[in-house]
Amino acid sequence: MATSAESSRITRDAGVASSPNGIGVLRRHANLTRELAVSQFKLKYTGSVLGYVWSLFKPMMMFGILYVIFDKLFKIGKGTENFVLQLLVAIVLWTFFQEATSAAMNSIASNGNMIRKAYFPRAILVVAATLTSLITFLINMALIVLIAAPMGKLDLGWRSLLAPLFLLELYALVLGISLLLSALFVFYRDMGHIWEICMQLLIYGSAVMFPLTLLDNHPTMKIAILANPMAQIIEDVRHALVTPSYKVPWSASVMGWAYVAPLALTAVLVLVGLIVFRRLTPRFAEYL
Amino acid sequence: MTAAITCEHVSKRFRVPLDRSTTLKYRFTHLRSSSRYHDFHALDDVSFEVPEGQFIGIVGHNGSGKSTLLKVLSRIYVPDSGEVGINGQVSPFLELGVGFNPELTARENIYLNGAVLGLTHAQLDERIDGIIAFAELENFVDQKLKNYSSGMQVRLAFSVAIQADAQILLMDEVLAVGDQRFQEKCFDTFGHYKREGKTVVLVTHDLSAVNLYCDRALMLDHGRLVADGTPREVTGAYKRRMGAASEAEGGATTGVAAAGDRWGSREVEVRDVRLLSDTGETHRVFSAEEPMTIEVDWVVNSDTVQDFLLALRFDRTDGLSPLAYPSTLLTQTMRGTAQRGMAGTLRYRVERWPFLGGSYLMAVEIFDEHRQNVYDQVDKAVGFRVIDEKTRFGLVELGGEWQSELPG
Repeated sequence: MATSAESSRITRDAGVASSPNGIGVLRRHANLTRELAVSQFKLKYTGSVLGYVWSLFKPMMMFGILYVIFDKLFKIGKGTENFVLQLLVAIVLWTFFQEATSAAMNSIASNGNMIRKAYFPRAILVVAATLTSLITFLINMALIVLIAAPMGKLDLGWRSLLAPLFLLELYALVLGISLLLSALFVFYRDMGHIWEICMQLLIYGSAVMFPLTLLDNHPTMKIAILANPMAQIIEDVRHALVTPSYKVPWSASVMGWAYVAPLALTAVLVLVGLIVFRRLTPRFAEYL
Repeated sequence: MTAAITCEHVSKRFRVPLDRSTTLKYRFTHLRSSSRYHDFHALDDVSFEVPEGQFIGIVGHNGSGKSTLLKVLSRIYVPDSGEVGINGQVSPFLELGVGFNPELTARENIYLNGAVLGLTHAQLDERIDGIIAFAELENFVDQKLKNYSSGMQVRLAFSVAIQADAQILLMDEVLAVGDQRFQEKCFDTFGHYKREGKTVVLVTHDLSAVNLYCDRALMLDHGRLVADGTPREVTGAYKRRMGAASEAEGGATTGVAAAGDRWGSREVEVRDVRLLSDTGETHRVFSAEEPMTIEVDWVVNSDTVQDFLLALRFDRTDGLSPLAYPSTLLTQTMRGTAQRGMAGTLRYRVERWPFLGGSYLMAVEIFDEHRQNVYDQVDKAVGFRVIDEKTRFGLVELGGEWQSELPG
């Protein structure tokens, strides 16, 4: 037999405590995650003539509108170095956050058939849903760097190497929120509407459409916004890739110890997401 | 021999809410009543052990907990109490084609479904040609699944499913799908699994499959394990129980049909009709090998009736009639003695039901000796089912013999 032996005890208290040959199981789970993500990615673009172009077009459209309104009409970006690219990077980051969490929220509820008929760790569905958006996001991000850098629109340096770390933080945040939302959405379909409203608030609370320097005269509000992990991530990535307006590797160090807040909040969301998801998992198959 | 599966005092209860609250508004507005539900015991203290390499069948009526048990074994459900031990890799699917997406091509679906089964991309790369060939879909691989006929989808799903490398296979009514030819393929695969020494748990209504392939069978009834033994014992018990259940549903096992199906002068009347198994119990479900005794109670309502003829007419429910028409003349014992109020019972014993399994009807007819006057004709006096070990087409097993000669 080529396959690895594994054994498990299924009890109520322990959940499923398996003592498998870890590598083999992990590889199978990773494989399932990848297959799900790839097929969702394909599904998203099959049947549409422009296909992947839509994924570029949507953030570009949003960018165009916001650019005209905030930069040209309200001149919010005035006095901010390279606001155009700041806006573009922020929109790409935000689009990923929005798409990934929305898709992931549905991932459990819309796969009832698989959950009722086959066993695999349910989190795979959530991860796969976020991966689909992640693929789009990474392609968009790469395009920005590849196009804007030769044009001299980006300001890259050693600190740019920190960008992947911030993207990692962003993905952790997305995953934590996705686990939480997807589990709750199975039982409360209101979560769909609640999360939509949250997003509308968050897009302002994350300083997507304006530079944070706009709030220099309102230190309290600035700190409040920067406690939001999305605002911190956007600001840090802008700093790493577009506008090195501070001399430190990360932008928000101006806040001093308060920089801990968004990081801690991310950690808490990941933890809460994991706990809630784990608690509710046994009930998915029965409820769906 | 080690146990592949151990199930110790496993119970699973479902709380069926009287109203399901899927919105928060409901939760907030019905704070008090949120605890209204009734408990449904899907599994009640079920214990058993399956040794490695055993082919075990689980039977039971709808809602008996068979599927719940399978879901607990496959970890889809977590038991409320008790413990399930699994020793070996379990195939994680209960049905064919889990994860199939109609918008993807067959090839893409093979990789997706294969991943659900625990196969890696590389393993599938090696096997994909074999899978496609087995499914006989070489010319359609790059078409979307939605353009497939349901038969093609099932073939594809089955071809992928048998690639699972698990030592323990859990299957829920896999046989319920597909045409005759496909089912034969399923059976071949079961034989293959058996030879390979895999542990198989098969949940099915197909008793002949249980008798043919299983080493052992379990029967569940309302969540309880009520029988555990050889397939023949358990399927026999199941048939009796099903018979008892359908008798309960259909009202009395005895008695005669309503007025619509009955006519005649009633000078002699059928009072009661019973079908009995050899244990003396009344039944409406028999196996083909089982002797069946028909009892007819009659009563004379006239002073003038001398002799009479009593006939049993067997029909098939689809209208084929008569299949058999045995009759007897009650004359020797009766001559000159028939009087109003005289009653008796006639018995007719069938050693072996000669027709194939299916649903049948029996009519009881009472005439005068020349078949001139109908005293009482009860057209659908009793319906019964005969369960044959194999499902076959036609009316009877011909019992012929095939011979073939090759040219040259």
